[in-house]
Amino acid sequence: MKSYILRRILRALFTAFGVSLVAFMILHLAPGDPVKIMLGPYATEENVQALRARYNLDKPLHIQYLTWIKNIFKGELGTSIRYNRPVGELIKERLGPTLILTGSGLLVAVILGVLFGTLAALKKNSILDYLTTFQTMFWLSIPSFWLAIVLLYIFGLKLRWVPIAGMTSFSSTILPVLTIGLREQAWFARPMRAEMLEVLSQNYIKALKAKGVKYEKIVWKHAFKNALIPIITMIALQLPWIIGGAVVIEVVFSWGGMGSLLVGSVLSRDYQVVQTILLFISIAVVAANLLADILYSFIDPRIRTER
Amino acid sequence: MISEDISYEQLKEEIRKLKRKRSSQANLVWKRFTKNKLALIGFIMVSIIIFMAIFAPLIAPYDPYKTSPLERFKPPSKEHLLGTDALGRDVFSRLIYGSRIALEIGILIVLFEGIIGISLGLVSGYFGGIVDKLIMWLVDVLRSFPIVVLALAIAGVLGQGILNVVIALGTVGWTSYARMVRSKVLTIKELEYIEAAKSIGESNLAIIFRHVLPNVLSTAIVMVCLMMPTALIASATLSFLGLGVQPPTADWGSIIAEGRRYLLKAPWISTSAGFFIMFTVLGFNFIGDGLRDALDPTSRRN
Amino acid sequence: METLLEIKDLKVSFDTEEGKVEALDGVNLKVKEGEFHALIGETGCGKTVTGLTILGLLDNNAKIEKGQVLYKGIDLLKLNEKQLQQQIRGKEIAMIFQDPSTSLDPIFTIKEQMFEALDNNSDLTEEKKLNLIIEELKKVKLPDVEELLEKYPHQLSGGMKQRVMIAMMLSCRPSLLIADEPTTALDVSTQAQFLKVLEDLRKETKITAIYITHNLAVVSEICDTVSVMYAGRIVETASLREIFKNPQHPYTYKLLHSVLGVETKIEELQEIPGSVPRLINPPSGCRFHPRCEEADEICKIEVPRMVEISSEHFVACHKRVIE
Repeated sequence: MKSYILRRILRALFTAFGVSLVAFMILHLAPGDPVKIMLGPYATEENVQALRARYNLDKPLHIQYLTWIKNIFKGELGTSIRYNRPVGELIKERLGPTLILTGSGLLVAVILGVLFGTLAALKKNSILDYLTTFQTMFWLSIPSFWLAIVLLYIFGLKLRWVPIAGMTSFSSTILPVLTIGLREQAWFARPMRAEMLEVLSQNYIKALKAKGVKYEKIVWKHAFKNALIPIITMIALQLPWIIGGAVVIEVVFSWGGMGSLLVGSVLSRDYQVVQTILLFISIAVVAANLLADILYSFIDPRIRTER
Repeated sequence: MISEDISYEQLKEEIRKLKRKRSSQANLVWKRFTKNKLALIGFIMVSIIIFMAIFAPLIAPYDPYKTSPLERFKPPSKEHLLGTDALGRDVFSRLIYGSRIALEIGILIVLFEGIIGISLGLVSGYFGGIVDKLIMWLVDVLRSFPIVVLALAIAGVLGQGILNVVIALGTVGWTSYARMVRSKVLTIKELEYIEAAKSIGESNLAIIFRHVLPNVLSTAIVMVCLMMPTALIASATLSFLGLGVQPPTADWGSIIAEGRRYLLKAPWISTSAGFFIMFTVLGFNFIGDGLRDALDPTSRRN
Repeated sequence: METLLEIKDLKVSFDTEEGKVEALDGVNLKVKEGEFHALIGETGCGKTVTGLTILGLLDNNAKIEKGQVLYKGIDLLKLNEKQLQQQIRGKEIAMIFQDPSTSLDPIFTIKEQMFEALDNNSDLTEEKKLNLIIEELKKVKLPDVEELLEKYPHQLSGGMKQRVMIAMMLSCRPSLLIADEPTTALDVSTQAQFLKVLEDLRKETKITAIYITHNLAVVSEICDTVSVMYAGRIVETASLREIFKNPQHPYTYKLLHSVLGVETKIEELQEIPGSVPRLINPPSGCRFHPRCEEADEICKIEVPRMVEISSEHFVACHKRVIE
């Protein structure tokens, strides 16, 4: 198992390196001088030079990259032009709300998805099964920002059950979390159904029946647990999609998280913030995948007992 | 193994025969697909949207760009099926014209990412080794970013406009194609007629173009249907966030964004635009689902 | 000897994408108490389906068209899932399968899975159950039982897994064991070991067994009675001795001679021409007629009935029965 984990860590490190390269290169995609774009057309030559020197933009690319990485490790994430504040500070403020939103959204999505998928598999070819297939396709065909707007209109504006924006109380978290949960459960329901059916068709399920084990026990103790193992990896794989959805949902609900910070920074060309958030999100995804792999190896005895 | 004493012509005939065997499998897939009712419904839905896009000027009751200050925020009625917007433009007409933009962008994105993905997948699968490792690393890296987030950043740096949206989503979204094509190439590489083609000394390039690519293409067409929903939703999201298509162009995403500002006063703007997106994407999802089932019937055995 | 299990005119079909498959078409079988009854035939002839039908373990696309499976006088086909689970499976009839590597749940220890087999014997204390399990595992000659209990299936060899399966099934003390090609997936030396275990168990427990196989060498080692299956029907049933010395059905004859035994000379080895028919559109009449050298018009038209041609020797062949 050690070698398995070691291999995974190595792979995650390679991916993390690539991810940082991509985040770094974003700035250099800009047509023309990024500094001039950042400062706008009326910037004085003096200011342009100062900013260029601060970002080492006058140095060769690899030096720029290395300095950037070095500074990140030192905790110096640069300064936001829009807010004129350290990027680190901004992110620190925004991290909590984003974690609450994405975390609870993911939790709701996984619970609903696993539940629907399992029931659909157990009642295969029933109305429930077809409904599950249909509802998953239905939710995945709706842009999350539109779903957010529709829910906002119905429950916030018309029924006035929940506040329409901000993060003032528990009730203000319901709609954003529900939006993520409702839509993203579709990512888990179908794989869960497929895994469950796959496991139920295995020989050992027949053998369990042959020795007289109760149906309920076969389903919930054996089939469900076996089917759940691959879903752990699925969760990590779907994380980017869920984060992507959450970014837009933050904008719709005026949720003061990293997503709305990112969108605002992109629109105002606050590249330092954009780069840092990109790096932050992608490293989180890489870490989540690594975590899932390690978790997987602890849960699955076939890997755990491997030397 | 093919014995050595048969002639070049015989060998070519063998290759043709083996290929025919594969095309009869394609027929079976097609038969399964056409039996799928949901796929048929999807096909009809997408056809409606395509029809709408092509004949927009004939179907749309009004000019989608003509503003009429006296007709602002008119709720849905006989004159304006889906009401009017803040500038008094007919929402229904704008949405019909919107299908043009949506399909245009969707097709461009899918083509763009398809070309990148298929080429890289072919190279990766066919040559293997360090090239394969490098490309797969790139796939891993790009998949660590949420598509919308990375495309948002790229489009933000490149600037607004349709072309930049296509470039941004294309450079990010090709990884699924590359993976699928690569695994397909890996199985094709083992087939007898590739062996045979190699044994008669065809070059790598010739083998890729004459034997591998045609086989991969069917997979790629399926991929296009599977990727279209992502492309449509992602481009709509960018427009919604103000980075894609710019007003006053009639685009579904930006119509939703405009309508959001008047949600209480004129909820029909945002909601009806969303229905159009949903309708189109659902159509493609039905088709994609049917194709997936047809290709892999074991996924819904008995 | 008493009849323990009797299958009467059993018909089972499957719905597949290509059409309806008539897997069993009028199977008649009598298994007597205490005997090892071999069910032999080529792959796809319906041996496994017969076994699964007895325990009600067929997949959802299977349909039992008609027939009876009488076990101790009760028709098992009339019992519902709950009754089968509580009263029959494990307790009365147990089954082991062809591939031991997939017969155990990969994520639970052997101990956990052995205990489950005793679920229906709730009157035993945990300690008694554990003792029983250890005893059973020792019976099948597994070494280091205590250590083995804590292991996961993938840590055992195929032979060990199959012995665990046997021990697990026998721990519920069934009267009938259905063994579906239990040695096919094992290598030759493990096979011999496994058969020895089975032989010893038989002496100790007086268990009855239906032994499904296509391996005639195995049959001659441990079985008393042999039923030969062909394309969803049983074509001949007789004692082991009768079958080997005096095979009546042309298919039985060819089957015996297609196998290279120790006493068979190479010249005698015959290949059966043709292949097992696909059961979507099975041949009319006697299903063997397209491959049979003796077949004539009647064989193509009429399904031959099973007839007792001498004591305890049944055969279904128009050419062997004078009416």
